[in-house]
Amino acid sequence: MKKLIGRILIALSACIICIAAIVIGMFYFNFISSKIYDDSTGHLREIYAQVNRSFGAFVERNWGLIDGWGRYIVVTEHKDTSDGEISDLIKEEKKYWGFSDFYFLSSDKECMTIEGEKNNTDLSEVWDCLSAGEGPVMAGASMSDGKDVTVFAVPVEHGKYKDFGYDAIGVSYTNEDMVKSLKVSAFSGEAMCFVIHNDGKVLLSTQKGGNVFDNYLTYLKAASDISDDEFEQIRKDWDNGKSGLLQCYIGDVDYCILYLPVGYQGYMMLSAVPQSAISAGLISVQHTTTGVLVAIFLLLSAAAITVVVIRSYKQSRKNKMELQYRELMFDVLSNSVDDIFIMLDHKTVSVDYISPNIERLIGIPAKEARKNIRVMEKCAVNFDVVIPKEELDEIPLNGNKCWECEYMHQNTGERRWYRMTVYHMSIQNIEKYIIVLSDRTLDKQMNKQLEDALTAARSANEAKSNFLSNMSHDIRTPMNAIVGFSVLLEKDADKADKVREYTRKITASSHYLLSLINDILDMNKIESGKTSLNIDTFSLPELLEELNIILLPQVKAKHQEFRMHVVGSPPEQITGDKLRLNQILINLLSNAVKYTPNGGNISFDVSTVTPSSNQYVKLKFVVKDNGIGISDEFKEHIFAPFSREVSSVTNKIQGTGLGMAITKNLVDLMGGIIEVESEPGKGSTFTVELTFVCPENDESDSWLENNISRMLVADDEEQVCLNIRELMSDFGVDVDMALNGAEAVEKTVAAHENGKDFDVILLDLKMPGTDGVETAKMIRQKVSSKVPILVLTSNDWTEIEDCARQAGIDAFMAKPFFVSSFRHTIKPLFYDASANNTVGEKEDNSADNVKDVMKGRLFLIVEDNEINSEILSEMLKIEGASSELAVNGQEAVDMFLRSEPGHYDMIFMDVQMPVMNGYDATRKIRASEHPEAKTIPIAAMTANTFDEDVRDALESGMNAHLGKPIDMTAVKELVGKLLGEKEK
Amino acid sequence: MKKLLSLFIVFAVVFSFSACGVGEDDEYDENSLTIMGKKSDLAKSYMTEIFERYKKTAGKNINIISIEDSEYEVEAERRFSEGNIPDIFMHFNNADLNRFDTEDNFCYLNDEKWVDDLTDSAKAYCTDSDGNLLGLPYWESSVSGCYYNKKIFSELGLKPATNQAEFDVLCDALKSIGYTPICWPADGCSWMVQFGLDPVFADDPSILEKINRNEIKYADIPQVNDMVRWIADAADKGWFGNKYLETGMEDISTVMSSGEAAMIFIWDTWFYTDLQKDGKYSVDDFALMPVFMNTAENGTYEGGNLNMMMVNKNSDKKQEALEFLEFCASSDNYNAAFDGISTVSCFKGQTTNIQSHMVTEASMSLAEYERVSTAATRVVGYSAEEVCSSLNKLFKKEISVSKCIELMDEYRIKEARAQGIENF
Repeated sequence: MKKLIGRILIALSACIICIAAIVIGMFYFNFISSKIYDDSTGHLREIYAQVNRSFGAFVERNWGLIDGWGRYIVVTEHKDTSDGEISDLIKEEKKYWGFSDFYFLSSDKECMTIEGEKNNTDLSEVWDCLSAGEGPVMAGASMSDGKDVTVFAVPVEHGKYKDFGYDAIGVSYTNEDMVKSLKVSAFSGEAMCFVIHNDGKVLLSTQKGGNVFDNYLTYLKAASDISDDEFEQIRKDWDNGKSGLLQCYIGDVDYCILYLPVGYQGYMMLSAVPQSAISAGLISVQHTTTGVLVAIFLLLSAAAITVVVIRSYKQSRKNKMELQYRELMFDVLSNSVDDIFIMLDHKTVSVDYISPNIERLIGIPAKEARKNIRVMEKCAVNFDVVIPKEELDEIPLNGNKCWECEYMHQNTGERRWYRMTVYHMSIQNIEKYIIVLSDRTLDKQMNKQLEDALTAARSANEAKSNFLSNMSHDIRTPMNAIVGFSVLLEKDADKADKVREYTRKITASSHYLLSLINDILDMNKIESGKTSLNIDTFSLPELLEELNIILLPQVKAKHQEFRMHVVGSPPEQITGDKLRLNQILINLLSNAVKYTPNGGNISFDVSTVTPSSNQYVKLKFVVKDNGIGISDEFKEHIFAPFSREVSSVTNKIQGTGLGMAITKNLVDLMGGIIEVESEPGKGSTFTVELTFVCPENDESDSWLENNISRMLVADDEEQVCLNIRELMSDFGVDVDMALNGAEAVEKTVAAHENGKDFDVILLDLKMPGTDGVETAKMIRQKVSSKVPILVLTSNDWTEIEDCARQAGIDAFMAKPFFVSSFRHTIKPLFYDASANNTVGEKEDNSADNVKDVMKGRLFLIVEDNEINSEILSEMLKIEGASSELAVNGQEAVDMFLRSEPGHYDMIFMDVQMPVMNGYDATRKIRASEHPEAKTIPIAAMTANTFDEDVRDALESGMNAHLGKPIDMTAVKELVGKLLGEKEK
Repeated sequence: MKKLLSLFIVFAVVFSFSACGVGEDDEYDENSLTIMGKKSDLAKSYMTEIFERYKKTAGKNINIISIEDSEYEVEAERRFSEGNIPDIFMHFNNADLNRFDTEDNFCYLNDEKWVDDLTDSAKAYCTDSDGNLLGLPYWESSVSGCYYNKKIFSELGLKPATNQAEFDVLCDALKSIGYTPICWPADGCSWMVQFGLDPVFADDPSILEKINRNEIKYADIPQVNDMVRWIADAADKGWFGNKYLETGMEDISTVMSSGEAAMIFIWDTWFYTDLQKDGKYSVDDFALMPVFMNTAENGTYEGGNLNMMMVNKNSDKKQEALEFLEFCASSDNYNAAFDGISTVSCFKGQTTNIQSHMVTEASMSLAEYERVSTAATRVVGYSAEEVCSSLNKLFKKEISVSKCIELMDEYRIKEARAQGIENF
């Protein structure tokens, strides 16, 4: 407000100064003009008074001369030589005075020049004056050549010249010469001077170009703005021989008219000078003075304006710079934060400012957004209109309103959450909307993380609770059995049947408890990332055979149909972790058995997944059952730890809920995939795909070496026959097919009769009509040759083995068909045709050998736990061995060092013990001077069963690792192996 | 049948030929003089009168060949080319006369008795560039000059100018009072410029020769530049008034009779034939002074264009033809023929004709400054209309003075080429 008043005062002062300057200027101008006029007219009067005097003197002089010449002529005209003398005189005078002609004038208006030429000039006007008796006269005349002249004449006594009678004499001057005396160089040569008779008739004129005025008074009246009164006054003045001065316009030109009486015959001298010419000099001074004053005023004004402008410019520049710096600072600031700032015009809602970070944050270039704010709609996620105009209008001045909004980055798709606050502001009555989009993304993300974490924590807690609950239940259940049957055992110790029954149940519960603990530990190990794979080459047929062996008792117990198929020709030798693969497949197959009711069907298919290469093979294991199935809800977290579907059926089935989680983790660990398809009540299908390395095939061409080039396969499943044909064709063995027993017999007989006996006959055990055993029997009856006959079956053949061998079957093979198994099975038959051993028999022999190994051996048991040491000691006793006990590592070392070489056959070393642990004790033993320090077999016998425990044990110098609880079979095998090696 | 058809064709050709604008006296007499002229010219009263008087006095017949005005030049050229030249041939002494080879076809009349009775201006008009008198002027004529309203001049206290400077002062004085100094009907000013050009070519015949040989152009002649520049300045200064661009020939009577303009460049007979009778000013209020267009210091008048009677030097009746001219040049006969005719005198003894007071009053000045009409008649390719058109473009500021002169040259040369003049 103060500034405004100040500005008004300054403007007012400037106006007053300007008005004062104009008034003073005008006053000065008028004063100067008036002064100039007075001075100019005074100047004019002076000049023309002087001209008039000169002209008068000229007239007087001429009249005087003429009068003198007249007297002389009168005196001399009576002489004889008078004409000549007069002529000479006048000619001399003419040369001297410069007149153009000398005239003798007669009363009859004729004239003669001094040369005697008559009437060459019209002197009628001169005579008119002379006859009027005015004495000496001055009048205008025209010569015959048209030239205008002025004649001065004086009446003289009548005389004669060259016989021309005259009454007056005169001289003439050309008007051109006459006007020279009237011209003045003053007034820029623009002054006109006239000698005019008082009736207006122009005698002489100095007008440039010549005189065109016949009567100047007439012209003046017609051409000027002189009023009738003024004109009348002029006439009076002229009649009375008075001088005068007047100002008038002739045409567009302002003239100053001065008239002066010449003093003769009513002649007036009139000068007409343009006012501009009169005042030219003074006007120039006036203009210069005025110009200087105006210039000074303008300079001062300019200086003042310049100062104001410079100050204003500086201020404006400063303001502009400040504004630019602020904008720069704001840009920098906005670039370093994730908030967006926008300023909109209140009326047009056009963008006045938008922070440049908009492009970084939501992918819209600021330039584009400046053109049209609505481009932000492209990125808006949760609302249609970026700036709802209706809602903007509702915001009162100086008020604000908030919205929550979400934008998605146009290029990256990144989402951002903002709190949009719109302020309705006004500065100097210009209203704006200032919009601040405050970034809430971090808050949002943090909240989400917290929510997720909370959910996870809740889930974990819930899982933990469930786990503890499950564990409590699952551990307590076998423990209850163990404790309960232990009590019963004590009670019925004298009843052998009861003891065996209780012992069996305690053993079963113990195994279950052990598997539960193993699973938990396994799960923990996998989850903690401590599980590593033991990669080695193994036989796929062997693995499948082992699976078959493991699974068959369970299947048989539930009267289920189990079928194992190998589709295609997967490599028999693959490199991978056999143990973990076995674990995966057992889990899946055990579950299939568990959750398939009695009499159900379970199939296990193994196939290669194309494409495979020579180096790698991807195997697909499909376990399919028609069991209870899995609900869709449970399918989603079937692989989560401790997850078990709750139903009336599953509740009756023991399980930790860890099996599938372990399976999934192991599959992941092996870089494979596991999928499940299931429908409640209809069964489930688990598919596992795993990739294995294929080792180089070093199989020699053993088939041709053994003269096996033709064989017969009989199986009611044609696909099985075809598979075998395909597999064997790679080795050059022709395979003839029979889809039933009768056909097999027929083909064998035919071949025999043609002298082309089959080298081997492979029969499926279960065939419709004639089964494998019966078929073999018929072949043996009809064909005398000793062709080996093998039975291929997916069932346990132990029950029919004796009967089959009697029927002529030489060996048994488990389905599916593998070339290696086939080779392995058939090899003994060709090496020793008389031999009738089977694989099973070999295994039995091996078991007997192990049993013999234990007898009479002395073992050093290093165990701090009394129960464990007692159990082991008793078990060894059962096996015919004896033992000594050391309760810690140090004691074991001491006992070993004190012993004679060969005293101990082997040491079972616990790991975690007081005084000295098993590792250190082993190192001490190995490092000792005892003769058997390096050779005595030491096996770790510990509850630490992880891989690293095995590794640590081996690194400390132990020969093997046995996990607790003690499995005597494993112990016996290990002892046999280690002592065998030692003895070798 | 063929003969009949041939006769019919011959008859048709003859009939059509005789009907093509050529009129010959019905009583054609092979022994009589043959005189050929334009139909309108021969119809003039003083011509019919002299023919009648000759027939009566001499008792001889005259064969008059009267040709339609528009076909005269073509027909005459045809006849001359065929050798069918009349005993007496009537034509103005202008550029078109060059077509008829005056040297070979006509008698020079310098030594005829009547020559001294001719006025100087008439004699000058009928003389070729070598000073040979080509024919007997027998025609009505007028004087072109600057006619001024002497009543207005008197009312304004002005007198006529005697030189270019005075004329310019006069114009300024008139303009300052509010009069239009000069009536310049730009929309039809075809005759005016030739007044200014006459002194250029009349005073220095070599310029005329050079321009007609296409050795120089208007642009090379300083006086032409002076004239055009003066016209342009006069227009700029307002000496032609404010409406001169819209003023045409039909308007000048009103302008002059009303006193709106004080001066006009025109000929004396115009005042008798065209000046509005009921205007403020009548013919008596006008006087004559020379035309000033910055080409002659003391101004100029243009003498009238005179129709001449020329004698075929190769005719059998040459002597009779010369006698006929002598008959015409007799004071009794020409005074009888021109009795009451308003014209400038061709003969010094001509008394019965009516001469305007304006011409009479200016007789002294006329005697000194009158010039034969030269530009319009002698400059090859001169076209008054095209000059007028060029000036109008100058007045409208469409072109400069130099461009205007260039345009005048272009038109002139174009016309000369159209006429097939040598050197163009």
